[in-house]
Amino acid sequence: MLQIHALTKRFVGESETVCAVDGLSFEVGPGEVFGLLGPNGAGKTTTLRMVLGLIAPDSGDAEVAGIPTSVDPFAAKAKLGFVSASDGVYPWLTVREMLLYFADLYGVGPDEATARLHVLAEVMDIEGLLDRRAGTLSTGQRQRVTLVRGLIHDPPVMLLDEPTRGLDVVGVQTIFRYISHLRHVGKAVVVCTHRLDEAERLCDRFGLLHRGKMQYEGTLTQLRGVSGREHLVEMFDDLMNPSTPPNEIPT
Amino acid sequence: MNLSWSRLARLSRKELRETLRDRRTILTLVMMPLLVYPLLSMAMNRFLISSAGPGTNGFVIGVDTEQESNWLQSLLHDPRSHPPESILAASGGELAEFQVVIAPEGNADQALLDNELDAAAHLAISEGDPSSIRITAFAGDQASESARRILIERLHWLKLQDAEGILKRIVPEFTSYDVTTTEIGEPQSGNVLASIIPLVLVLMTITGAVYPAIDLTAGERERGTMEALIASPVPRWWLLLAKYIAVVSVALLTAVANLGAMFATLSLTGLMSTLVGEGGGMGLKEMGYIFLLLVLFSAFFAAVLLSLTSFARSFKEAQAYLIPIMLLALAPAILSLMPGVGLTGPLAVAPLLNIVLLAREILEGDVHPLGACVAVVSTLLYAAGALAIAAKLFGSDAVTRTSDQSIGSLFRRPTIATPRPSIGEAGMVIALLLPASFVVSNALMQWIRRQGGEINVPWQLTLNAISLIATFGLIPLLATVLGRHEFASTYRLRRANVGFYLGAAVMSLGAWAFAYEALVLADEWKLALLNEDQIERTRGLLEKWKTISPVLLVTTMAFVPAVIEELCFRGYLFSAFRTVLRPWHTILATAVLFGLFHVFVGSTLLIERFIPTTLLGIALGWIAYRSGSVLPGMLMHFLHNGMLELVARYHDQLAFLGSETEGNRHLPPLWIAIAGGCLLIGIAIIHFCPRTERPEAMADLSQA
Repeated sequence: MLQIHALTKRFVGESETVCAVDGLSFEVGPGEVFGLLGPNGAGKTTTLRMVLGLIAPDSGDAEVAGIPTSVDPFAAKAKLGFVSASDGVYPWLTVREMLLYFADLYGVGPDEATARLHVLAEVMDIEGLLDRRAGTLSTGQRQRVTLVRGLIHDPPVMLLDEPTRGLDVVGVQTIFRYISHLRHVGKAVVVCTHRLDEAERLCDRFGLLHRGKMQYEGTLTQLRGVSGREHLVEMFDDLMNPSTPPNEIPT
Repeated sequence: MNLSWSRLARLSRKELRETLRDRRTILTLVMMPLLVYPLLSMAMNRFLISSAGPGTNGFVIGVDTEQESNWLQSLLHDPRSHPPESILAASGGELAEFQVVIAPEGNADQALLDNELDAAAHLAISEGDPSSIRITAFAGDQASESARRILIERLHWLKLQDAEGILKRIVPEFTSYDVTTTEIGEPQSGNVLASIIPLVLVLMTITGAVYPAIDLTAGERERGTMEALIASPVPRWWLLLAKYIAVVSVALLTAVANLGAMFATLSLTGLMSTLVGEGGGMGLKEMGYIFLLLVLFSAFFAAVLLSLTSFARSFKEAQAYLIPIMLLALAPAILSLMPGVGLTGPLAVAPLLNIVLLAREILEGDVHPLGACVAVVSTLLYAAGALAIAAKLFGSDAVTRTSDQSIGSLFRRPTIATPRPSIGEAGMVIALLLPASFVVSNALMQWIRRQGGEINVPWQLTLNAISLIATFGLIPLLATVLGRHEFASTYRLRRANVGFYLGAAVMSLGAWAFAYEALVLADEWKLALLNEDQIERTRGLLEKWKTISPVLLVTTMAFVPAVIEELCFRGYLFSAFRTVLRPWHTILATAVLFGLFHVFVGSTLLIERFIPTTLLGIALGWIAYRSGSVLPGMLMHFLHNGMLELVARYHDQLAFLGSETEGNRHLPPLWIAIAGGCLLIGIAIIHFCPRTERPEAMADLSQA
């Protein structure tokens, strides 16, 4: 459903050029939750931005539901849902107005959008919030509205960037339920996070990024086999500390 | 993704709804007009009361004693103290009224300090007449100073009458001379509003546009909604267009609300007649003009503000950018109040100043059509250019949620070369072309005129060609280099099937005759705006052409325009427009631009050139589209211009062919029939010629 082919992005600074993502490739199938993990600056968010068309890759390509982003970026964007911890709302619009606006942006017709809104509002328990001004919502309520916004156009691929950042226990549980729902309805999901404990619970497969390169890729069992470590945290530690190099594995 | 007008309307409605619900917008939209104008009118009333005029009962003069009061009243009632009729007529026609009062406690100076008087008079009276008179005014108070001045004048008139009577008695033959006053020239408009309204327009429009411009651009970043917006499958320029419509709407609403409040306040307080002048007033026509000006003002400001706020990382930063711009915007508005500054020459393309001057001219009822036309077109082009900049910047760094863009980033060359420019870049080029060509051609004309007879015709033609290269050649070239676009695909420099060259050449054999006929018809139907002097100068120029080398004539008037204009219109602009427009829309858009740019020649508006040039542009655009190349059109353009110029040069020698009979400037019917035949054959050749592989194939694919 989502295929990444040798994505590369360099940022040219005043004194140096940083290769944020270096020839990254992976793929995610329907109903699969893929954890794109790595320390800060590993290139996770840059990867998502390139897939979303927010920044142009220097080379490489992504294919969303069979549509290459380099050939028809807008058609590819229409197949993507995106949720980030830093997402905001339009404070002067009602929740309903805001969600229907995003449905319109994605080309969903008014009747279909209204029907989808009711289904999702029930799933995410925001029915009572639909006619409230978005600026009056609490943090948890905003988070649920944002999660609905990501799904309003029923995209086959969902990208989640640090979805649990800044949330309390209840909020984190909401995210877990949301991701379970996505898996259940057959979405291909990519979750970027550095909360490794959560990732272990959430994801079916993992990709460990370091300095823009994919270091490990596979299920938790496969990663344990090739890294010789039990938990993702230990594998991470190996990455960050080259004195205890991980086993060489093809990715 | 379907980008329809109804969708744009829905996107704009959301932006407008969001903005209009915001308390800050309501504050500028409602509170400003409700509070500011009544307060301003109170201040103005106060100013007028304290200005040079007297109160309702005339100037009040205070004295200390009854004796002083009696003498002063007798002076003021004495007809000898009145100025002669002619002097009185020159200073307004009304004799100033005075009221003489005895100050409380016999202290006129104190009463003056207490603001109870306009002036105080102290008379030292002995034997019935004063030996000295001291008149005191309140320092800095115009009404008080006027009262003192007029009172002194009355005293002097009295002395003068007395002196004249004495002189006549001593010298019986003495006769005084008569003084009469008269006026010449156009009366100056007493319409103060004509000067004030443009200034108020600037302030009002900025006030209305500033907040939504910031909120809808920098505000998106601050709220954290930018990423989700840019990640949606809608082009950024489409999102920006919706925001632009919202900003223009709010600016327009604010301006209309302010204008309404201003007129209501002026009418209710009676200040209107003072500001507009005797018998003045604002009719529906003037209000309609003001509304159209508001639309133009709003369109311009909204685009400029959006381009600036798109740079900003936050609300605060955007405000920091806009405060200097607001102050800068006041400068041209104030400059327009200066006498002698008019909508002519380079001022007609000076951003903002041209619109303020146009507003003044409209309100004074003295509009110059060329200046007005140039001002409106150039302002719309500036707005388009500013929008293109905004579209380039808006959301381009949604990743970081803070902007790393700088002014320099606009001129930074991309790292990867692209085959053709974007529509935004083309907009910037068009926005630059009009003022550049206007300034260059005007400067050239002025220079040639100043040189008088020293600059000969060959030099004039050469300078014209150079100015064409400097504007229509260099500006797109610089844009191509800065944008790192491939030259061959941007300028459509491809080899075309030989049939296209043949068809273009045959078409040109017919096209020039129709262009010639269109000009003759425009002249006959009085569509031309040239005055007698300009027509005479043009005839003189055509006469001079008969003396110069045909090679120079063809090089400067046919070869250079054919190459430069084709590269610009059917090359750069055509390939940019094709990225978003369908073929016929592209052909029409470039043809209309081609026609428009041929209308402005120096300080002359050659309206009659628009239709024939646009039609030629359509033919050239069609050839460019069919052939996929700029070269066949270049050949047609060269032959078309060349034949027109050569017919003009060898007009006398062609008389034997019946090119002109007495009183009839039309071409002979046989010529027109042959030209029509050539045109049709040329069209057929191009139509049936196998099409060259089109460079726009990708653009077509993405639109399908």
